[in-house]
Amino acid sequence: MSESKLINTFARERVDNLASQNGEPSWLKELRVSSWEAYLQTPMPTGRDEGWRKTEIDSLDLSTLNAIDLSTKNDLKAKLPDWFETALTFFDNHSGVVAEVGHSSISAKLSADLVSQGVIFCSIKQALHDHAELIRPYLSKIGSDQKFVLMNKALFNSGTFLYVPANVEIEGPFVSLTHFTSLNGAPNGVAIFPRLIAVLGKHSKASLVNVLSSEQGKESKSSSRSLANALVEVHVEAGAKFEYLELQKFDDNVFAITRTHNQVEQDAVIKSLTVAIGGSQLKGDIVTVLNAHGASSDLQGIVLGDTDEHYSFNTIQKHNAPNTTSNINFRVALKGNAQSIYQGIIEVAKVAQKTAAFQSNKNLLLGAEARADSIPKLEILADDVKCSHGATVGPVDREQIFYLMSRGLAAPEAEELIVTGFFRQILEACTIGRAKEWVYDVLAEKIHQV
Amino acid sequence: MTAKQPLLSVQNLHVKVEDKEILKGVDLNIYAGEVHAIMGRNGSGKSTLSYTLIGHPRYVVTEGKILFKGVDIVEMTPDQRARNGMALAFQYPVAIPGVSVSNFLRASVKAIRGKDVPVKEFRQELKAQMKKLGVADEFLGRYINDGFSGGEKKRIEILQLALLKPALAVLDETDSGLDIDALKIVSEGINNLSNPETAILLITHYQRILNYVEPQFVHVFQDGRIVKSGGGELSKELEARGYDWVLQELTSSAVS
Repeated sequence: MSESKLINTFARERVDNLASQNGEPSWLKELRVSSWEAYLQTPMPTGRDEGWRKTEIDSLDLSTLNAIDLSTKNDLKAKLPDWFETALTFFDNHSGVVAEVGHSSISAKLSADLVSQGVIFCSIKQALHDHAELIRPYLSKIGSDQKFVLMNKALFNSGTFLYVPANVEIEGPFVSLTHFTSLNGAPNGVAIFPRLIAVLGKHSKASLVNVLSSEQGKESKSSSRSLANALVEVHVEAGAKFEYLELQKFDDNVFAITRTHNQVEQDAVIKSLTVAIGGSQLKGDIVTVLNAHGASSDLQGIVLGDTDEHYSFNTIQKHNAPNTTSNINFRVALKGNAQSIYQGIIEVAKVAQKTAAFQSNKNLLLGAEARADSIPKLEILADDVKCSHGATVGPVDREQIFYLMSRGLAAPEAEELIVTGFFRQILEACTIGRAKEWVYDVLAEKIHQV
Repeated sequence: MTAKQPLLSVQNLHVKVEDKEILKGVDLNIYAGEVHAIMGRNGSGKSTLSYTLIGHPRYVVTEGKILFKGVDIVEMTPDQRARNGMALAFQYPVAIPGVSVSNFLRASVKAIRGKDVPVKEFRQELKAQMKKLGVADEFLGRYINDGFSGGEKKRIEILQLALLKPALAVLDETDSGLDIDALKIVSEGINNLSNPETAILLITHYQRILNYVEPQFVHVFQDGRIVKSGGGELSKELEARGYDWVLQELTSSAVS
């Protein structure tokens, strides 16, 4: 076995190699190694584990994957995917774009004003190089015992860092793209480990659009899957306001495992929208910790599945302090044989009195073979709380279809209008640039495809 | 065709819903330029006729024909019928959250006219019709029928018909739930739909609306068929004497 082959597999050597090839400081290497050790000691989840139900995690053969390095060279002229260029037109007031497209990396051109205020928006590689001491505490602030989070923490080699200092308010959104090709001409699948860290200093305000995507390789669809293991950590410090939009748009070779952790401090507010519209298997955890008095979160989710795609999203609203508020609105529409399972957990600690936590999950089944499950779970230890949850699963209302048809719309057009309407209600909540129009177009395009 | 052909010709129409026969042999001819009213008690099958005409899948035609512009439309889907020039103003139009009135109207007008209408032109036309019907601009951004009052729903139904300009407009209990001012406005909207090329079929169980929309033909519906037809004066007689009068008359004429 050649050395290059060895370092591309999931092994301790890969961890050491990352540290040395990037000239990382020793504390970072130690962090990587300790995560790696913990990773080794954590059992691989199986489809029988509650959080992994309906995923085909057992079919993911890590030994066949080649870990690849994204953004090995800075290339401002790198070609962005056409659809991403289109996306950017909806964010014409953006504050900066960081893109990792295969081996190329495009760095953001921040205005002198933002730079002078101490705003940082760059690839995580650059952040580790230029702002090592600043990013350092955030690399280990949020602990985890999750196998794939530990894997990411040991092997992360791409991603983005956003740092907004205290009291800085920024209107235009930041935009981040991580894009790769799932088949690099190799017989085996590839693996990428993007990690995004966003830090919103006290009483700051900003928004971020994060796109995780891949395109079909040039060769025909291979049977082996690629892995995108993404970690997103958001720190919203006291009094800060953050709005986040994430789009997951992978090709049908990709098994994507994403974990988002939002840490929300006193009187801070996070608003987010996660949109998942493609991939072989998408397993996403969105954890929001309301950590201090007055923290609030409003999370929206959209899943639009088709063909044989599997979606498994778990949301966790964790109230650790009194007077905290959380809301989740998660909507799923499935065509073809697509499957989805949504698990929504509300946890209210004993001290978290006067908590208000709401959760809604609606599923539209469009394909005859489509399947959706919805599992709410409430663990409430405080006694003075307002909590509610609701779920629906069913086909499109036939009376709605009939009504639209009676006004001249053919059945597929009628269905398309109803489904986009179903999502539009969620999109209304998103106030980043013209994001809702962009997402609406992206959804309409996918609904239109078949 | 040289001989004058009815716009709508319903012949011996039998319809069942979930194995229960509701319409038991309806015959009705409507020519262009005419306004017809069908009156009858609740449960007499009036609404079944309107749903059957537009092609609701729950209503199954077991016998008879519906000729529209000379062609049997029984096998046609609702959208085909609509594009062919038929429209129904619903008694209880359904809400579709997330679909704005303006988006829906544009999609619908495009489908019916078979081509996209330039945005500016469409907005002008729309605003003019909205003004006539006293519909506020804010409705365009609202979701179809979502949280609308009964009267608002009826106005939006008539607004749609005004834009779609159907050859045959079927209005199912459009007067119910309207106060007198709204009734006048909606009636005027209905009258504006009428011209020598189009026809209107009003379904109602109150005579009230017929003070504002004057039909040339009135039909009394009972137990799934038309039991009596007459001119506009019949509705006033019904109002004065009640539906029982028709039934008694029928029984006595059967005896003699």
